[in-house]
Amino acid sequence: MSDCQRPLSPHLSIYRPQLTSMLSILHRFTGVGLFVGSFLFVGWFVALSLGEESYQSIVSFLESLVGQLLLSGWVFAFYYHLFNGLRHFYWDIGRGFDLETTYKTGWLVLGVSISLTVITLIFMMWR
Amino acid sequence: MADFRLPKNSRLRPGKLHKASEDAKDVRRFHIYRYNPDDKENPQIDTFEVDQTQCGPMVLDALIYIKNHIDPTLTFRRSCREGICGSCSMNIDGTNTLACTKSTGDVKGDVKIFPLPHMPVIKDLVPDLSVAYAQYTSIKPWIQEEVEHTGDRERLQSPEDRKKLDGLWECILCFSCSTSCPSYWWNGDRYLGPATLLQAHRFIQDSRDQKTDERLQELEDPFKLYRCHTIMNCTKTCPKGLNPAASIGDIKQKIAEQKIKGISLKKG
Repeated sequence: MSDCQRPLSPHLSIYRPQLTSMLSILHRFTGVGLFVGSFLFVGWFVALSLGEESYQSIVSFLESLVGQLLLSGWVFAFYYHLFNGLRHFYWDIGRGFDLETTYKTGWLVLGVSISLTVITLIFMMWR
Repeated sequence: MADFRLPKNSRLRPGKLHKASEDAKDVRRFHIYRYNPDDKENPQIDTFEVDQTQCGPMVLDALIYIKNHIDPTLTFRRSCREGICGSCSMNIDGTNTLACTKSTGDVKGDVKIFPLPHMPVIKDLVPDLSVAYAQYTSIKPWIQEEVEHTGDRERLQSPEDRKKLDGLWECILCFSCSTSCPSYWWNGDRYLGPATLLQAHRFIQDSRDQKTDERLQELEDPFKLYRCHTIMNCTKTCPKGLNPAASIGDIKQKIAEQKIKGISLKKG
């Protein structure tokens, strides 16, 4: 029996997605997204310092459909990562661990992030 | 780096269908993970049709029915059939729980049953828990003392101190929580996992244990403890309704408090 290599039982593919794990992985994804987004932010400044022509090219990219979608994504990533980060701080002071509170704060963070994203986008379009 | 895919020898292939007899009244389908180390084939999913009028209400009843009446080679652990031994922990309908306390009626549609996730499989629904048990041993799950206890009676404890163990002593070590944790899936060789950390907390909280500081220092490690990212799958899945995530949070806090107090056991 010792020569037989035991198979690994299925995990990611069979475990039911639920609020707990989905919000956790979303926190990771938005964190990575913000990191990538920071390069764009720097690029924007660099373009600005290089003069009007380069600045216009980055602005026209950001005004394109792809650019607008990316910016909307970053707005959501910013709000979600911020508020879920506060949720993590709340856990770090040893509170909010019971399942009921975890679900309440989870839905709250998601709701607030989506609402603020929509409000921000409406505000930006209106301006 | 975590490998999100199953190794080649673990990928699933289609299995057999065991149809119910014509006169069955209330048929329910069970899709069950099968692996036989003797036939040197990949694991497969067998489907069993079970007449619900012929078997009890729990998933474990259905498994026992299948073993007794359809396929005697179906292998799984079970003992107490009342949620206190922790033997029949497995993944049912996508979450980890005890087959004996999970009602088939609570599952919508077909019932899918897998072994505890991301574990080496010995046979069918029987995972190899050696690593998990070794991790449990590593936290020294017994009362340790600085001064040897003397006298002819047990160590006394106030009702308040005893209360601190509620929500901890009930753990039956079924490892449903540990194997529900993505962090434990990717780092199970070094991260202790929620079940073992809840047990560690149980002894940290015990007023009769005199090695609290050592226990905390032993746990302060990027992998043993801090791979917990508060995903909370553990608390969500615990069939006993316990809260391993809260235990881990309390350990982290106690370590922080220990630092603030400047308690250092490393002398010199």
